Amino acid sequence: MEKAKITAYQLFALVLLFELGSALLVALGIEAKQDAWIVILLGMIGGLLIFFVCYRLYCFYPDCLPTEYLQKIMGKGLGKSASFLYMLYFVYLAARVLRDFGAMLLTFAYIETPLFIANTLMILVIVYSVSKGIEVLARTGELFLVFIYFLAGSGVLLVLFSGVVDLHNLQPVLENGWKPIIKSTVKETIYFPFGELIVFTMIIPYLRDSKKVRNVSIIGIIVSGISLMLVMVFNISILGVKLTERSQFPLLTTIQTIQVADFLERLDVYFMIALIVGGFFKVALFIYAAVIGTANIFTVTPPSRLCYPIGLVVLLLSMTMASNFPEHLKEGISIVPFLLHLPFQIIFPVLLLGMAYLKNRKHKKQGTG
Amino acid sequence: MKRRIGIFLMVCLQLLLLTGCWSKKELNDLALVSAVGLDLNKQGKYVGTFQFVNPGNVTGSFQGGGGGQGNAVSVYSATGDNIDEISRRMATKVSRNLYYAHANLVVISDKLAKKKGVLPILDAFDRDATFRNTATVVIAHDAKAADLIKTLTAIDKLPANKVIKLLRFSERVWGASLNIMMIDVIKDLTDDGKQPLISGFNLKGSSSTGEKVSNIMQSTPQAAPVVDGLALFKHGKLVGWIDGKKARGAVWTLNKIKKTEININKKGRKEAIALEVIRQNTSISTSVKNRTAQLNVRVETEGNIGETKVPVNLKDPHVIADLEKGFEKQVKSEIKAAIKEAQAKKTDIFGFGDAVHRSQPETWKRISKNWDEDYFAKANVKVKVDVFVRRTGLRNNSFLSGAK
Repeated sequence: MEKAKITAYQLFALVLLFELGSALLVALGIEAKQDAWIVILLGMIGGLLIFFVCYRLYCFYPDCLPTEYLQKIMGKGLGKSASFLYMLYFVYLAARVLRDFGAMLLTFAYIETPLFIANTLMILVIVYSVSKGIEVLARTGELFLVFIYFLAGSGVLLVLFSGVVDLHNLQPVLENGWKPIIKSTVKETIYFPFGELIVFTMIIPYLRDSKKVRNVSIIGIIVSGISLMLVMVFNISILGVKLTERSQFPLLTTIQTIQVADFLERLDVYFMIALIVGGFFKVALFIYAAVIGTANIFTVTPPSRLCYPIGLVVLLLSMTMASNFPEHLKEGISIVPFLLHLPFQIIFPVLLLGMAYLKNRKHKKQGTG
Repeated sequence: MKRRIGIFLMVCLQLLLLTGCWSKKELNDLALVSAVGLDLNKQGKYVGTFQFVNPGNVTGSFQGGGGGQGNAVSVYSATGDNIDEISRRMATKVSRNLYYAHANLVVISDKLAKKKGVLPILDAFDRDATFRNTATVVIAHDAKAADLIKTLTAIDKLPANKVIKLLRFSERVWGASLNIMMIDVIKDLTDDGKQPLISGFNLKGSSSTGEKVSNIMQSTPQAAPVVDGLALFKHGKLVGWIDGKKARGAVWTLNKIKKTEININKKGRKEAIALEVIRQNTSISTSVKNRTAQLNVRVETEGNIGETKVPVNLKDPHVIADLEKGFEKQVKSEIKAAIKEAQAKKTDIFGFGDAVHRSQPETWKRISKNWDEDYFAKANVKVKVDVFVRRTGLRNNSFLSGAK
């Protein structure tokens, strides 16, 4: 663990930017058609539950990284290997997000640039800031949050002034009942983007005021959930369900419909900036967690020595994980949630919490007895 | 010393990253496409006619000096089996990279729209990242798309701009045309409950005179594009045209009228009193019961008296109320005529099906497949119009009341 402290607002900014990161890129919960916004809200509630599990664990061991308390709960050998699996998971997710953004840039703007170049440039910046530590990352987040919400605010105004919003597209609500909504929540939004907050178990021990962890995180999750919901409401009400479904990047298509006063058009750069900033933080936080955790498991000091090697792994993984974009998306939709997200985000933390609870009760009895 | 050399090498390496010209395209290597026209030739292949901006000639003429001698645009065409091929084949004729980000007009010939439909050609535009999906789509009515693209226009140097501005302006002031964007067309094409309706353009005069600069040297250009009717589509194919008052009725039903003017007969004179509509709001709803659909249109509109040809006592509120009834009847007949025409062609261009989808989702699932044929075409239509005459201009009674 680094000797660093971050403020409550910085944590809030990181949670928010992390959540918006790649969730803005895709049509979140579109399986439920025009009810995608309900799916996002339900996913947010699921995310809050996952957060509470992690928070209880944090309460048992407020000064430790998860890699440490895993060893305390499960014993040294088992705890270390479990933590190591988590680090691999974070590296994999970092690579996924990096690939998402590389593919986005190449599809939309840099058609002739090789993916490797785009990903390398991005990972260089990310690894550099990660090597400077969590404080630098948190301060960057603090700055960019204001910027992102300025973009979002002006974007919303421009969309409204363009007069393209048609809320009729959101009707009929619950056309096919609750079933597809629940299904889509359990299959997607609960893990992505909300369950991915599991990575913050590696960040919250740095908060200066440990009492604020709960409230700040909850507010962060709720604000990000509502922001994502609004984005999806705009996407569907402007593009309609079918076009949103067909769009690789619905938000981009939505922004392209902005036409105000004959000269405010083609504001694609809005989308680019917001997404690059969000993607930067998402990848950076995953890599940071992987770096600090790996350093902790293998007692590497200083942890920043691991930044470049892990960055390289993420880069190569992002290149080799899929041979084309549809394959990458398909993996993300049908394989990753059940094979990776479900065990790492839900099953494992819940089991751990149970074990931690039993263990600490025993300790207490021994202490008092 | 070693450290210095190291730093020097690092700086040199960074230079490689800083150039930022991986796939640079200089402005003078770009051919700015301003409009795309699509025709069908006798062999059944697509003919793409692209209008390119000659930047020097456009700016020169605005500043009133230098340049401005040649055409504002140059037009080239190429033939191919799909849009991408046409675009690539253009390379044998155009010496620059085609740049679509400023293309804001797509003209499709009525022949192509009738025979092959618009479904096979729009995907390229939908998919391409540089083409903007807010580009206007129009159908060439009784003309070749190529001829519309070739015709030079006065006032607006760029013919593409002329067409778009014309469309926008006529939509706003007269209301018998629609400025339909690519994204709207695609949305309607994939929507079960609504079919596309696209504005038509005709070429007045002959294309051979239209493509010469001499055409715009005259005070009355011999050839010019004019707004002409609305094209009804069904399953992506052109099935008919409506124009004039019917077209306005259709625009009215779509709640797209901004301003227009309505005439009624009075005291034996035809079109004697004119109402300038300043705002309106139209909503539609549909209900389906026992295999029959009921289409409801509700219009509320406000306006001022614009002209009278016969003496009427405009000081009297009763007379105004009487006139309002007349205007209501007129609007109602236009809307009914438009819906009747669409029913005859069995294509729901107004989105009544969407209204069912919203209000009776369960029923819609059952009937969406044959909505156009079995329900929309046979539906009862109910139109309710409320016209409010608010003011009468600078005069109350017309001078005609006192004229000898």
